[in-house]
Amino acid sequence: MILEDHVDIVNEDDVIAGRRKVRMLAAEIGFSPAEWAMLAAVITELSRNILDYAGRGEVLFHAIEDGGRRGIAVIARDHGPGIPNIKEALQASYSVAGGLGVGLRGVKGLMDSLEIISVPGKGTTVTARKWLS
Amino acid sequence: MREIAGELQREYSDALRDYLARPNERALRRVYEMGRGTLTDGVGVLGIAALHHQALKDVIPGLSEEIEEALLIKRAEDVFIESLMPFEMSHRAFREAIAVLRRMNERIEQEAKRIAHALHQEAGGLLASTHLALEELSHDLSPQGSERLTLVRQLLDQMDEQLRQLAHEIRPTILDDLGLLPALNFLAKGMSKRSGLAITVEGSTEGRLPPAVETALYRNVQEALNNAIRHAQAGAVAVMVSREARAVRCSIRDDGIGFDVSAVTAANGERGLGLVGMRERLEFLRGTLAITSAPGQGAELLMHIPLEG
Repeated sequence: MILEDHVDIVNEDDVIAGRRKVRMLAAEIGFSPAEWAMLAAVITELSRNILDYAGRGEVLFHAIEDGGRRGIAVIARDHGPGIPNIKEALQASYSVAGGLGVGLRGVKGLMDSLEIISVPGKGTTVTARKWLS
Repeated sequence: MREIAGELQREYSDALRDYLARPNERALRRVYEMGRGTLTDGVGVLGIAALHHQALKDVIPGLSEEIEEALLIKRAEDVFIESLMPFEMSHRAFREAIAVLRRMNERIEQEAKRIAHALHQEAGGLLASTHLALEELSHDLSPQGSERLTLVRQLLDQMDEQLRQLAHEIRPTILDDLGLLPALNFLAKGMSKRSGLAITVEGSTEGRLPPAVETALYRNVQEALNNAIRHAQAGAVAVMVSREARAVRCSIRDDGIGFDVSAVTAANGERGLGLVGMRERLEFLRGTLAITSAPGQGAELLMHIPLEG
């Protein structure tokens, strides 16, 4: 049983590979098909940010456990320019997509938690977790 | 526009056919992006449903001989979920934004309460001390000096009155202390005096209402009266409050020149925004606002807020 996986994100094909792999892991952990689709959307949006802003990066996902609760963590990492203002990036006014609740803002809504660590000039790491309900 | 819609339909049907014949991630990704694109283009969730429905009609006949129907239905569901996912994200974000707005609104009311209190109690207290000091001073003054001091004290009284009124408009303590009807009566009296408009307040809430309901109704009546004074050229306004078993109702009716409801609410003018604000205040409480008006026929605003238990 593979409870972790990782994909280098360099082009659109990698995004599709990431979506496929996260579905498989989500099924393994016990998430429902609708939740697989949510996680695929999360991978898509995080990969989009990597490709648009950093050019390349990676997404990792693995099973998590906390006092009997099971879930999944999705981590997107790049060495791009970083997000100058994280709070703003999560706000509605940041972009058309953000205003409509997709993009990073949408990831936040689909997951139970979202952490963003970004160092200007060094890169960004986004960690999102979702628990089985 | 029709051309784009046709192209989108072809693309969607294509992706659906691809996935139904052989489930693959690439097709799902395509559908996800189409859903995302239609969201940002302002095509609604019903548009997606229509797109999906038409695609099923286009695609199913060509596949139903090779693939079992139950399997086709299952696969089509995967595609539909994918196309709706951006709308689900959007929906969740809006729900969260509404919760944030509600908290902000509460914070603004709290802040208003604090400012009103500072104006009323602290500035009012200082004025009272000033009066006492002047009273003492008046003993040492000549009759002419005393007379001039009286003038100063009259000015101070006016200032006191204005502070009181201002504090009241920012956050009426009477609303917290005595409830909606006394607060509305006080508001009507003040506005009537300033504008010359005859304002009557009638009805009963049959006891206190939840604070959020009292605040929303008070603010909306305030806004409605302001509108009536500024735009309606009305002679009289009647505010009527009534209590139902599980709801409270409040109407504001004026005999002014009326307005074109759809034109005003569609416009982003100050008045349209005022009405939008009123509606939002009510929506937080699952309440509704009905506006009835036509040019030359006055206007009536009817607010309805359900009460729990």
